[in-house]
Amino acid sequence: MAFELHYVTENLPLLLEGAFRTLTVSLMSIMVGLIVGVVLTFIRQSGLPELSSVVALYVSFIRGTPGLIQVLIVYYALPTIGLNLAPLPAGIVALGMNSGAYVSEILRGGLAALPLGQIEAARSMGMSTFLIWRRILLPQVLVIVLPPLTGEFISLLKASSLLSVITIVELTRSAQRIVAITYQPIELYVAAAMLYFAMCFTLASISRKLEKLTAAYRL
Amino acid sequence: MSFDIAVITTYWPLFAKGIASTVLISVLSILLGLFLGLVLALLRISGNRWFSGLSTLFIEIIRNIPILIIAFLAFYGLPSYGIRLEANLAGVLSLSVYSSAYFAEIIRGAILAVPKGQMQSARAVGMSHLLAIQRIIFPQMLSYLIPPLTSQLIMTIKASSVLSIITVTELTMSAAKVISITYSPVEVYALIASLYWLLCLSIEFGMGLLERRVTRYQLITTKLP
Repeated sequence: MAFELHYVTENLPLLLEGAFRTLTVSLMSIMVGLIVGVVLTFIRQSGLPELSSVVALYVSFIRGTPGLIQVLIVYYALPTIGLNLAPLPAGIVALGMNSGAYVSEILRGGLAALPLGQIEAARSMGMSTFLIWRRILLPQVLVIVLPPLTGEFISLLKASSLLSVITIVELTRSAQRIVAITYQPIELYVAAAMLYFAMCFTLASISRKLEKLTAAYRL
Repeated sequence: MSFDIAVITTYWPLFAKGIASTVLISVLSILLGLFLGLVLALLRISGNRWFSGLSTLFIEIIRNIPILIIAFLAFYGLPSYGIRLEANLAGVLSLSVYSSAYFAEIIRGAILAVPKGQMQSARAVGMSHLLAIQRIIFPQMLSYLIPPLTSQLIMTIKASSVLSIITVTELTMSAAKVISITYSPVEVYALIASLYWLLCLSIEFGMGLLERRVTRYQLITTKLP
């Protein structure tokens, strides 16, 4: 059986719409993930052992359980304790909470990579804590965490395909829907794969460019 | 709402079957994935432009596509070409192919991380090429290999839950079955999340023990600040 391209071209608008939804859902989820990640990192840096171990437990749970289960928990299990979310917010919450754990690990790694001597040196030169963060820590941490953060965004974009199971019509679900009508699985799933590849590959290329641009700030 | 423990005890045989199947599918996919990954890594660093290019292309494509799409292609796509795979087989194959791309990069990174001078010195003191690989390169490569490999093993186990969508009968699928009978998502998801968590923690623990065993061979210089 040959590869019949016209099934793809005829349904391209629907696929592109799905890809656009995948992008927007992923963007909103990474925003939630960044906020959750920063908050978790602050709690961990706060030096309160009880709170830090709660964060560590949360991170361990997220990293030790499948994303699919997390999505299903938010969508199907939370309503039974009174938290009823529509598919889209449920999906963004699930992916964002998942991503937050990974983001906090990345930020922690970035902070740990900075030599302590720099803070001491800056302080001995009379810089305030705020100035140290603005001039010394943040510029370097941001440069360190940029590549892994893009990696996390790419993982998130791929994980957003799981939202097809809670009826969100993103790229995977729109491909599934078209397959249900045309019954041409190869053509449409290959097309979906190419769209995912294009999105992820573009992100990776942007990341590489940014890495080159910020190389001057690197230790 | 109260937590009804009876749901878990009544349907325990189904969950036990599910976890056994998840473990089996993960182990098979990891073994096959590691083998494929090793081949891909060796092709990529082979020095041959064509082999290296093809291997890189394959790795990049697989790493930028969701596992769900790969599983759909294997289970729903291949039959159009006359290859009709049973769900569990399609699942293991797609998970192996998916993991192999990540394994390949980890193996390649570990091989390249061993300094070149190590091989040259080994040859200089009279070891054969094979002996040098066996005694010098391989043991040191392991210490670079294990930390990223641990994360990838966990990723593969977690990705196996996605295979429930193509009707592979593993742990997530048993959960769906029980929920469709009892309609008690809280209990069931709490149970299977704990089971996955436990599985991943044991992998982490086991690999930690292994790491301590193999880092005996780590270069002294990498331990100094």
